[in-house]
Amino acid sequence: MDAQAISTIVGVIDKKMTRQVKQYLDICARCAICKDSCHQYVGTGDLKYLPARRAELVRQVYKKYFDSAGRFVPALFEARDPDDTLLDELYESCYACTGCRRCMYYCPFSIDTQQVVAIGKAMLIAVGRGQEMLGQLADAALFKGDNVEMFREVLVSGFKDIEAEVREITGDPEATIPVDKEGAEILYVALAGAHSIRPAAVIFHEAGVDWTISLFEAANYGYFFGDPEKARLIAKRFMDEAKRLGVKEVVVPECGHAYRVAEIFYEAWSKEKLPFKVSHILEVVDRFIKEGRITVEKGRIAGRVTYHDPCQIARNGGIYEQPRDVVRAIADDFVDLTPNRAEQWCCGGGGGIVAIDELRDVRLKSGAKKVEQLRASGAAVLACPCENCRLQIEDLNELHGLGLQVRQVIDLVVEAMPLPGNRPGAQ
Amino acid sequence: METYLALTSVWGVYLTAVVFFAGMGLRIYQWATTPRSPVPFGLFPKPATRAGRVAAMLRDTLVAPHSAKIEPRMWAFAMLFHVAALAAFVGHLRLVQECPVLPDLLGAEGMNAFAAWAGGIAGTLMMVATLYWIARRTFGPFKALSVPEDYLLLGLLLGVIVMGNHMRFFGDVHAAEYRAWFQSLLAFKPHIPEEILASNVGWSLGTHMLFVDALLIYFPFSKLVHTIGSFAANLTRSE
Amino acid sequence: MSDEIKVDLELDLKGLLCPLPMVKVSQNINNVPVGGVIRAVATDPGSMADIPAWAKSTGNEVLSAEKQGNEFVFLVKRVK
Repeated sequence: MDAQAISTIVGVIDKKMTRQVKQYLDICARCAICKDSCHQYVGTGDLKYLPARRAELVRQVYKKYFDSAGRFVPALFEARDPDDTLLDELYESCYACTGCRRCMYYCPFSIDTQQVVAIGKAMLIAVGRGQEMLGQLADAALFKGDNVEMFREVLVSGFKDIEAEVREITGDPEATIPVDKEGAEILYVALAGAHSIRPAAVIFHEAGVDWTISLFEAANYGYFFGDPEKARLIAKRFMDEAKRLGVKEVVVPECGHAYRVAEIFYEAWSKEKLPFKVSHILEVVDRFIKEGRITVEKGRIAGRVTYHDPCQIARNGGIYEQPRDVVRAIADDFVDLTPNRAEQWCCGGGGGIVAIDELRDVRLKSGAKKVEQLRASGAAVLACPCENCRLQIEDLNELHGLGLQVRQVIDLVVEAMPLPGNRPGAQ
Repeated sequence: METYLALTSVWGVYLTAVVFFAGMGLRIYQWATTPRSPVPFGLFPKPATRAGRVAAMLRDTLVAPHSAKIEPRMWAFAMLFHVAALAAFVGHLRLVQECPVLPDLLGAEGMNAFAAWAGGIAGTLMMVATLYWIARRTFGPFKALSVPEDYLLLGLLLGVIVMGNHMRFFGDVHAAEYRAWFQSLLAFKPHIPEEILASNVGWSLGTHMLFVDALLIYFPFSKLVHTIGSFAANLTRSE
Repeated sequence: MSDEIKVDLELDLKGLLCPLPMVKVSQNINNVPVGGVIRAVATDPGSMADIPAWAKSTGNEVLSAEKQGNEFVFLVKRVK
């Protein structure tokens, strides 16, 4: 590794360092209490996935350049220059990390390993070693957003196709998926896939709410890639759109990181106060059910139903009860996983790892705890409001023959609604 | 003997005090002058009020209930160590001033006996916890995670404790004599009482202080800054 | 038109939800030679925007993107 690359990496650490992370790096006692908290370390037993070890790699470089004792006696801290060995391990440990922050929950000092991993990713990106697929996905999203007029026609034509299905399900030939509707109450920012639009459109239509759909998507690969500026720009598109349309509420779909980016990070990143509120779609659905704006019936979903807390919505987003209330309203037999809520095991699919082919083995092994939990629940249906979680749990389901139906919660809600065109198992 | 004690227990103490306080000040200065991330790092659910946040921070720092849940044994040894260390620290305050009330109740002999028991128990518990930590680090899956700093600190700690215990269990010198020595340091008129020089624990005191000096000089530059940093980091948990 | 183009790799992306069709195309682009063509068939309408956007931002070329019934058919050429 040449001097230029080393100084680039050191510069990035300097630029990215915050008081909180500096404290984390200075105080970690390497007590390894985090070992049993991490689904990846538990599932693989591989040291590089131990949370404190992920941080240790960043600390080794930090100690050498930013700490008086580390400069003076580097051997004491194994402080060193970044080299290929370090960056290779850093790549795996950072891009495998799902950012679930379960380690932070159990750490006696509440060290947020994800923030240290963020610096690790920035180090990798600075020397051109960022994860390629996540980088491409981020760039594609940026390109799509920058050239929204180029894609408007295909997007709107896609919405029209979905609209036809919505009309069939609701039995209302007038049902629409409004685009660019000024003054609407809700702007729904979906994922690129039709599956995240169709059931939401049915629910909004049935609730009689004044809504409009975003031309942009909520998923944020800039965030997974580890580039906060790209992440901010991707989110800025729909935030600006919401301001332009003058909506009261931006609703994000069943996607964990999209919610955290929009609700927890965006205002801090953009240094502005948003003139509308940001909600997860299940908060809205819960409200609709409790206000009697949509009708759901029990008995339409067969078998025991359980619920998985996506880390970015629950531990890192604060939404624990609304999705449970929604599921309880539609399921005869609801059972929680153990442990749950803040202590819920990460499924292993977060952080963009589902898009990274080379980490597939680690990802599948890291689902061991989730598989145990799902088996123990005896559930036939899993309600799960996060795309990445569902992709991972679908893989686990198949690999371990769990025989589980892994479902988007709004799909289950639509299924529980007495609608004329309601097909059982509509996906 | 006199030279050894002069080095470790007089001039060493002064040097240690300067480095320790300056070092801790520097560490706090470095933290204070690094800009905070504007992004909230808190975990949910978060306490609603400022007082609630402080209460949660104190609970998480002083009791660490979540760590207790995931690794009860490690938590138990860690609590054992920290509580015993706190007790030992309180006991050492007798070097500054004899504690109030108790000597009147127990009498001089009784007080010494009480101190021998309390100090002996605290010292033994600290030693047990430190040995557990050394074993856990050496034979557990964390060997590869550990760096020389970890062993150095545990070694220094063990040195402090073992020599302290030696004075406690094998010495016939009591608090009054040590207090005379320590107060002479505080008054900048250093003097080592004859009773200590003549006793069988002069070497122990010197070596105890040698380890104390080394530990505290290194303290501000080591992971031991978790003693103050954990309060800040646990407050970040609810931001 | 598509009959004249030699397809080096066929990808069946039916049933995959966006952005997975784009991910699969990207993962497979290095499995064809430079100048080679992937023919991908997806069912998620989001792919009609995703795959062209991916191609533009990575410097590859979408020769055609067509809706055929419920399917979306792409011819993607590896440029570099």
